[in-house]
Amino acid sequence: MNAETTSVLLRFGLAIGIIGLGAFTYWLINQRLLVRASNNVLTLFKKLPNKPVLVYFTTPDCVPCRTVQRPAIDRVSNLLGEKLQVVEIDATEHPDLAKVWGVMSVPTTFLLNERGEACYVNNGVARAEKLLEQIQTL
Amino acid sequence: MTSQTLQKVDHSALKTNQIIIISLNVLAFILNLPVLAAFVALVMGIGSALKTPGFGFVYKNILKPRGWMKPDVLDDNPEPHRFAQFLGFLFMTAGSIALFLGATILGWSLVWLVVALAALNAFGGFCVGCAVYYWLGRFNLPGFTKQPPVGTFPGMKPRVGASQ
Repeated sequence: MNAETTSVLLRFGLAIGIIGLGAFTYWLINQRLLVRASNNVLTLFKKLPNKPVLVYFTTPDCVPCRTVQRPAIDRVSNLLGEKLQVVEIDATEHPDLAKVWGVMSVPTTFLLNERGEACYVNNGVARAEKLLEQIQTL
Repeated sequence: MTSQTLQKVDHSALKTNQIIIISLNVLAFILNLPVLAAFVALVMGIGSALKTPGFGFVYKNILKPRGWMKPDVLDDNPEPHRFAQFLGFLFMTAGSIALFLGATILGWSLVWLVVALAALNAFGGFCVGCAVYYWLGRFNLPGFTKQPPVGTFPGMKPRVGASQ
C-alpha cells in the first residue's frame, strides 16, 4: 500500500470519525427530546390511552406535511386501526405545546408506547414504513 | 416588533445547497483536494453575489423537475440565508487560502466548521448564519433590518405561516 492510499484511508477514517461524532451529538439531542416528551405526556392526555400513540406536530402551511407526512400517517392509521391513537397538533394553534415538547420544526412525530413513554422522535418527514417499523418495536 | 413583509423561500433549494456543500467538502478532505474546497468557496461566492443558493441550480434544473425533491416553500426572510451563505463563503475562502499556504490544520478546520454548520442547518433546521444576522439586527446595524417570522426562534426554520 503506497503512502497516498494510506493517506486517503486515514483521512476517510478521520472523516467517518468526525461524522460519527456529529451523529452521536444528534442522537444525544434526540434522547433529550424523548425524555422531555415523556415528562410532558400529561399535557396531551388526562388519562393514558393504554395503547401506542403517534403525536404529530404540523402547521397548515407545511407542504411536506400535506404531501408526504399526512398520507403516511393515514396509511399507518388505516393499517393499525384501533391499535394506534394519532394525536395531531397544529403548532400555530398550540405554540405552547410545541415549546413544551421541544419541537423546533415541522413535521415532527413522536411515538409513545402504551405506558406513555416517548420511544422515537422523527425530526422531518417519516415514511409509513419507518413509522410501522418503529411501532412494531414499541 | 415592527411590521415586515415575508417572502416565499423554498427551503428545499437551501437544503440541496447545504448537502452538496457538505458532500464536496468531505470529499475534498478525504482526497486532500484543496482545489475542490476552493471550488466550493467560489460557487458560494457566486451564489452570494447573485443572491441565490450557490448549488441551487442542481435543485432547480435536476432535482425539482424530476420530482426527486419536493418544494418546501415557507414564509421567511431570504436575507438571513444569503448572509449565512456569505459567511460560509468567507470561511471557505479563508480555509482554502490557509490550505494553499500550507496551514493544513487551520484550513481543514475551517472547512469542517462549514460542514458542521451546513449539517446543522440541513438536518437540524437551525441556521447559525441566520441567527447571527438577526442578532446583528438587534444592534440596528445598517442592512440587518429583518426580524424572524412570528413564533420562530431566530435561526430556526419557520414552523408558522407567519405574516407580520
